[in-house]
Amino acid sequence: MRGGAIPLLAWATLLVVLLAINWIWTGDAIQVGSFAFAAAAIFAVALALIVGARRDALRRGPPQPTRDPETVPAASLGAVLVAVAVASIVFGLAFGHFLVYFGAGLLVVSLGMVLREWLAERRQRRAWLERERR
Amino acid sequence: MILTRLISTRHEYDTLFAVYVPIAAGVFVVIVIAIAAAVFRYRRRPPEKAARWSEHNGLEAGYALLLTATVAFLLYLTFTAEHRVDTVSARERPDLTVDVTGAKWEWQFTYPSYGIVVRSGTVGHQPLVVPINEAIRFRLASQDVIHSLWIPELRFKRALIPGATENVTLTFTRAGTFPGQCAEFCGLRHADMVFTVRALSPGAFADWARAHARGG
Amino acid sequence: MTVHSPPLRAPRWRSAGWVGALTSTDHKRIGLNLGLASFAFFLIGGVLALLMRAQLAEPNGQLVSDNTYSELFTMHGSTMIYLFVTPMAIALSMYLVPLQIGAISIAGPRAALTGFWTWLAGGLIMQSGWLSAGGAGRAGWFSYVPLSNGTNTPGVGQDLWVLGVILAASGTVVMAGCVLATIARRRAPGMALLRMPVFTWTGLVTVLMVVGSFPVLIVAMILLYIDRHGGNIYSGFSGAIDYQDLFWFFGHPVVYVMFFPYLGAAAEAIAVGANKRWFGYKAFVASVMAFAALSMSVWAHHMFTTGGVTNQYFAFTSTALVIPAGIEYFDVIGTVIGGAVVLRCSMLFGLTFFVQFLIGGLSGIFVASPVLDYSANNTYFIIAHFHYTLFAGSVFGFFAGVYHWFPKLTGALLRERLGKLQLAVMIVGTNLTFFPMFLVGEDGMPRRISRYAEHPGWATLNRLETAGSAIIAVGVAIFLVNLWVSLRRREPAGDDPWRGHTLEWATSSPPPPLNYEAPLPPIRSYAPLLDLRQHAEDREREKAPA
Repeated sequence: MRGGAIPLLAWATLLVVLLAINWIWTGDAIQVGSFAFAAAAIFAVALALIVGARRDALRRGPPQPTRDPETVPAASLGAVLVAVAVASIVFGLAFGHFLVYFGAGLLVVSLGMVLREWLAERRQRRAWLERERR
Repeated sequence: MILTRLISTRHEYDTLFAVYVPIAAGVFVVIVIAIAAAVFRYRRRPPEKAARWSEHNGLEAGYALLLTATVAFLLYLTFTAEHRVDTVSARERPDLTVDVTGAKWEWQFTYPSYGIVVRSGTVGHQPLVVPINEAIRFRLASQDVIHSLWIPELRFKRALIPGATENVTLTFTRAGTFPGQCAEFCGLRHADMVFTVRALSPGAFADWARAHARGG
Repeated sequence: MTVHSPPLRAPRWRSAGWVGALTSTDHKRIGLNLGLASFAFFLIGGVLALLMRAQLAEPNGQLVSDNTYSELFTMHGSTMIYLFVTPMAIALSMYLVPLQIGAISIAGPRAALTGFWTWLAGGLIMQSGWLSAGGAGRAGWFSYVPLSNGTNTPGVGQDLWVLGVILAASGTVVMAGCVLATIARRRAPGMALLRMPVFTWTGLVTVLMVVGSFPVLIVAMILLYIDRHGGNIYSGFSGAIDYQDLFWFFGHPVVYVMFFPYLGAAAEAIAVGANKRWFGYKAFVASVMAFAALSMSVWAHHMFTTGGVTNQYFAFTSTALVIPAGIEYFDVIGTVIGGAVVLRCSMLFGLTFFVQFLIGGLSGIFVASPVLDYSANNTYFIIAHFHYTLFAGSVFGFFAGVYHWFPKLTGALLRERLGKLQLAVMIVGTNLTFFPMFLVGEDGMPRRISRYAEHPGWATLNRLETAGSAIIAVGVAIFLVNLWVSLRRREPAGDDPWRGHTLEWATSSPPPPLNYEAPLPPIRSYAPLLDLRQHAEDREREKAPA
């Protein structure tokens, strides 16, 4: 976590410099637009990291040890089915609209499965913290 | 009347080629020799013998400066050549104007001042006839998809994009018969969208134009 | 000393057997699945290339129809770029980055799994075009409008191509996001940014480029799909130029996505093969960051001949790439000098990567000049140039990585002698295939033509290229034999067969589900295991005189 946003900010700044040169030299709206999107996307990720970890994401130096427990899933059928659902919606556009409806239904079901896995993980983490406290 | 030097794309290409390629070949040879020599010199030693240094920022900065100077030199040559090919040539008052229309999968070359139309590609094989040592303005347009006018003899090509007419000014410097082709994939029979260029002396061209203008 | 928080494992759905292998959220399993699927696509794309070369062996070849030839080059390019070199780059990062930075898992394991399946579905949808009535996509891998619109390329095959690209790119973005978050958030205690291994840095700039540029491709493709179905998005001259701008805004960065991880793999293989720390680490980090940023701003050098862009800006940025690229070559030489070089397959492939890529790089400077590109654009010169970067470069870097990390992935060694045979055959095949393309391209042969007239020399050069492509196929076959032999009759590798430098060599081969069972060694540089070894040598030397 420590310093995680630094390379993103550095890189996005480089993009902004090149974007400025592009703007002055070409003045081309679609070029400047795509370029600005890329810089904004990287800045947005950096911002998300800063929001998630506050000052730590900007601090230099090595990460420190943490005692927070974390849960690591071993497998997830839900996550696979989300992809299958999205793919069948997209494939359905060319193959037949019944697949779009099937995919939409599957998407709801699979997101529910992911949510259930995620809740179970959270319960387990809480239980562990409870045990530690005692 | 202001006389400007005729711009030969072929000449500009050859001049740049003669700078870029030897530099590239030299760099290739030097780097390959350096890698090979280093590998040969330091092969098969016990791992403990390996040196521990791993940085020399001064040397790298010096190398980066050398590279920057090379970039500046190449860009200077390229920018001046590009200026001549794209900008100076366009200022030239053309001696001949040819309208080039690309369509799947044929070329249509129209000489508005002579009323001549020639076609090549899947429809026939009439050559594009041009005078040498005269500036020729090509007005490029496409009727359907993107095509690209590619004349290897001139080392030049330009895309024909539907929706706009683009002008290029080109000069042939030697007489002869040269191949030409569409260089942007344009569908099923792209490979057949070929034509021939016949570059003639101005006198011979005038004879040709007169003969065909009368006939057409 | 590092302290790991005790990991908890979520309730499993089922993680045994092939179902478990396909639904696993372990980054190693996802990375391996992604790598295997990409490699399968590589074989498919290779067969398409061989068919094209067979067609071009003779002038006016009659092996395939014009329509089939259009499908072949479209699907060859699309398969190699969207479904092999790019995802393989992500697969390497997915597998190795968490191991190299001492993380027990990837950030967002479920998202990574969804990303993999989305990408795979995209690949299968794109290939399913072969089964449609009109055939597969056939407007080229960059599918310029208006050629790719509903009027000029009707049919469901091209639709499937567009939809496949959308899905494959989306899946790739999601996976790249997971790798990015892993580097930002999950480095082990002690793993400061400037202690991350060289490969991890190349992985980082790669995923930055994916996050910045791939969404633009997705937008361009969604608009193309709408355009194909009566939307009239890309109309006229400006529509055509806008499409090209959007496409190449993705299309050039992706070239470097297909370069950096292989550069990193070759660099790791060379540093370990030379038994010496990678030279000029900080300059290398700065140069790959600058390299990646510059490579986001060179895209319109693909459009020099359109007359619709400012050529000088793009000539400037494209030529400036010389500077960071030069630094990398300087660092390779600096790493080997003073080393204790062991010429194993991984080292040899790594060095060959740098040598052959150099031809691609130097010819790249050539075509970065608009005046020279006016000739080279859309000819075989360009085909030669980018195959020297992507095949003679990246694929050799990929094999350097395979020979380097295969023992880590499987616990078994690949056969060195078969590997060296493969290398020799592939060097011959690669140069025989691609070098004549420079000559025939310089002589004016355009790309994407299924037939050519009998120009002097063209038939001979094309025949050489076709022969070369068959030799490449033999080289790949030798690799497959090597895989089969090495996995059937295993030579155990141990945890660290090469005296590795980075953390992945500090765990078992293959690594356990949570990557490390023993505590991590102290991390004080980008080569923590080399630090340990040198520390031990020093202690021994101190003891010796006493």
